Amino acid sequence: MATASVGSVRKRSSRIPLTYVVALVPVAVALNIVGGQINGILKLPTFLDMIGTAVVAIVLGPWWGALVGASTNIIASFIGGPIGLPFAACNVVGALVWGYAIRMGFGKTFWSFGLVNVVTAFFVSLTAVPIYVFIFGGATGHFSDIMTAAFIGMGQNLFVSVFSSNILVSLADKIISGFVALAIIEALPANLTSHLTLPKSEGMGKVMWITGGVVVGLAIALVMMMVQG
Amino acid sequence: MDDEKKQITVGAKEGLGAGIVGIALLLGFLPMASQNIADLEFISSEAYGILAGAVMVLAIFTGIAGLAVIFSNLSDDEE
Repeated sequence: MATASVGSVRKRSSRIPLTYVVALVPVAVALNIVGGQINGILKLPTFLDMIGTAVVAIVLGPWWGALVGASTNIIASFIGGPIGLPFAACNVVGALVWGYAIRMGFGKTFWSFGLVNVVTAFFVSLTAVPIYVFIFGGATGHFSDIMTAAFIGMGQNLFVSVFSSNILVSLADKIISGFVALAIIEALPANLTSHLTLPKSEGMGKVMWITGGVVVGLAIALVMMMVQG
Repeated sequence: MDDEKKQITVGAKEGLGAGIVGIALLLGFLPMASQNIADLEFISSEAYGILAGAVMVLAIFTGIAGLAVIFSNLSDDEE
């Protein structure tokens, strides 16, 4: 635990040295962009552009995460075209949900942390669906468009179809992103994370839980790929 | 001890400010982006409609940021 000793009294502060913030925010933006690019090249049924957002939102706070999310989509729009820019709203919502949920005391156990990821996926999908429908007419060229078309073929309306496909993709994506972020947070200096209430486990327990979380996310993504395949 | 006092630190207040700067960056890029999106072949929406919708979403975020300023504890938490 990172503490500042004043006499015999040990103080624990939520204030973070500026040097850590200056280092962490650009790295998180880069991590998001690289993740998004890898996902785009491999055409995976995920997004992988919110891992850095999750790290910063949990460690530094929800609004630092919002800055990372907005910066990610602005910079990515110069690389991959303007389609991603409206989805900056989703990145910001994800940062706010992750950041505030952890600060409200959710995410103390691995189960509740997993639930925080699920709730994040739900709110991000709620934000994404109007963007998909009103701006892009329901399709952007992502993997989930195939599922959207399948749902429309089954007689669902466009809103329900887009939400149904997006929540599945988002669920896999946020579970993977959340647990990968947790692994990254574990590797950060202790004085960055001492004020957080994150899941704790002895020995290899934490590695097993994080691996389990990522595997669950990958399993959801694989099932989607097999169903569409 | 002196080193600790000299170290510049950031807290919730600075984080909130950074988030609002992020929203401002988005607002700055939206007019250009909405025209670029409207120019794409498969997009049927007008640039004005895209811009209007995006600004409304960002208005919600700005409102949330305002509420955070009012209700959040922006003082330094020390135990």
